[in-house]
Amino acid sequence: MLVHRFESPTVPSRIVLLGSNGFLASQLRCTFEVARLAYRAIGSKEVDLIDGASTDQLAQIVRFEDALVVTSALTPEKGRDPATLIKNLRMIENLAMLLGRQPCAHIIYVSSDGVYASRSSLIAEDSPCETGDIYGVAHVVREKMLLQACQKADVPLAIVRPGAIYGSGDTHNSYGPNRFVRTALKDGKIVLFGGGEERRDHIHVRDVANLIQRCLVHRSAGVLNAVTGKAWSFRAVAEKVTAALGCPILIQELPRTGTITHRHFDITARLRAFPDFQATTLEEGLAETVSGVANAREEGLT
Amino acid sequence: MSDANTIGFAGLSHLGIVYSMAAAARGFSVLAFDERLGVAEGLAAGRFPISEPGLEDAFVKHHVRIKYSADASLLSGCPLIFVTLDVSTDDANNSDLAPLESLIDRVSAVAAPETVLVLMSQVPPGFCRRLACRLPASLRLFYQVETLVFGNAVERAVRPERYMVGCAETDSGLPTLYRRYLKAFDCPVLPMRYESAELCKIAINCFLVSSVSTSNTLAEICGKIGADWSEIVPALRLDRRIGPHAYLNPGLGIAGGNLERDLATVQRLAAEYGSDARIVTGWQEKSRYDRDWTLRTLHHTGVLASPSHASVALWGLAYKADTASTKNSPAFAVLRALPQYKFRAYDPQAKIGTGFPFVDVYTSALEAVQGSTALLIMTPWKEFSNVTPRELIARMASLRLIDPYRVLDRNLFSESGFEYHCLGA
Repeated sequence: MLVHRFESPTVPSRIVLLGSNGFLASQLRCTFEVARLAYRAIGSKEVDLIDGASTDQLAQIVRFEDALVVTSALTPEKGRDPATLIKNLRMIENLAMLLGRQPCAHIIYVSSDGVYASRSSLIAEDSPCETGDIYGVAHVVREKMLLQACQKADVPLAIVRPGAIYGSGDTHNSYGPNRFVRTALKDGKIVLFGGGEERRDHIHVRDVANLIQRCLVHRSAGVLNAVTGKAWSFRAVAEKVTAALGCPILIQELPRTGTITHRHFDITARLRAFPDFQATTLEEGLAETVSGVANAREEGLT
Repeated sequence: MSDANTIGFAGLSHLGIVYSMAAAARGFSVLAFDERLGVAEGLAAGRFPISEPGLEDAFVKHHVRIKYSADASLLSGCPLIFVTLDVSTDDANNSDLAPLESLIDRVSAVAAPETVLVLMSQVPPGFCRRLACRLPASLRLFYQVETLVFGNAVERAVRPERYMVGCAETDSGLPTLYRRYLKAFDCPVLPMRYESAELCKIAINCFLVSSVSTSNTLAEICGKIGADWSEIVPALRLDRRIGPHAYLNPGLGIAGGNLERDLATVQRLAAEYGSDARIVTGWQEKSRYDRDWTLRTLHHTGVLASPSHASVALWGLAYKADTASTKNSPAFAVLRALPQYKFRAYDPQAKIGTGFPFVDVYTSALEAVQGSTALLIMTPWKEFSNVTPRELIARMASLRLIDPYRVLDRNLFSESGFEYHCLGA
């Protein structure tokens, strides 16, 4: 549940974007530029949050009136292991130390819907964070660490938990829309686990950036699931990708290894926070993604 | 008018007003006491602070048998006194028992020895046993479970289904005067110990909530798989294990305050005594989810996409029909969630109150829909069902109906070009 410090949108004097090169961070830079929001993007090459020296480095950059958007994290493909977990926690430990020395006006922490248990259910912001996944655990603990630091420093904190993000420019290759588009374009086929029955909430990256922008201008505090509220089966996604491509694609089914779980979200809290927000439809989003990935292929970018 | 058979009622809120009237309707002489400023005076003049079908008619017929008074000393002439002050709840559904305890002290101070004191107010388990210990030994305390239903309170008070009476000890029987009083209502009387009676009321409400929650869960699934809950309900009503009067109509969660209070009490008791009450938490969460159905539907229909262009007509502010009560009303939940939008509201009885500058209130349903981009029917008042498609088509800017309770004829309005949304289909 989000609470807005500013009922009317108020542009932050500057945004400091931690993690500048990731899929979402790239989109955020675009969004800030389009909205003409002043921002400073800081990638790991400039300040490596895992390094203890990062606190001093950031203290030189961050100002009291800044809004911080924290996207920095080692994502699952970098490792789903204890060592990666510790590094992820170290990053937030250093950030928490920064807040003790140099508070700022607002923090938005980009977490993950991986904090929730994987069993089938209707998830809301107040659902228990009972993940069994070590990457999800990292986000659960990071959220708690940041919350404690923000409470101590009296900095409003918004925790944004995106669902399955897709869109062109995705650097990950996880099971879902982006992989389907790539393999459809490259191999003319999409591979599903089982019949692709599992339903997931796929949100376009631009919509996540839009929600973060809204949190910034309202200086919101609390938790928000960045989701559409509509879950689609992977089979439906594959069929929509095929439709967007406009040519025959082989949809291949592999034997299922696990049980089927679905993931639906209750968007009531988002409706209360941002009632006029309208998510991109999956058809529109996939059509854009297909076009973006196809263009990138032509330009030899992927 | 006071005589040895006059029945006293102390505390004239909803409960006291209705039950004192029922006693008069059954032929008893009644002394109805409340010393809050102007309460007795207003009631004596036939000005009721509540709205209940049949109440004003009953007053016309039976007021000669009721004396409304702010003078506590008159209660000393009543051998049987009912304490009937409703216990209010806060935003977290916790009871405020202080006014009731103060009233009981006031009554017990003036009651004559051997008076039978019958508590009807909504109290938590354990209250009566503690109260009995501190009352003068010359008074006998009983707890009569109230099952008042807003909007049907007079009928249920005059013709009750049964009486549940909590006693200090069940084997000593009820005093003659009290027994004679109950007999006049011609229904079963179930004596039980205090604690059972106190929990009995909560048990009834828990079963109602479970029916409501189950109905809402299945009604939502109906809407997603192409079934229609209204087709299933008759089959359930014919099942003896469920019954013809079960709460099977889908709705927007629980409201009104009493059910919510009892759920909070069960949670507190379970926490204190170490019982598993997660199902109660589930009901509460389900109720909040159901309450917000309208908000989600407004979003899905695109009404919320542009705050500056939306003008939403809202019929019904009360939490249910035939009452002016708005406690935990789903209509107010929608309004509080959407202060950026313009609303045009109408309710036959309930008032909007302060804090809603974005809501214009009208004196008729049809006035409220003028130029609207959607119509929400948040309370199933009967008068709304008389509206025709033609009347709405002539006034609405967009033909969108959000009618959770199916007040309007779904087929008729759909065939007339309306986009129609309801619960359960």
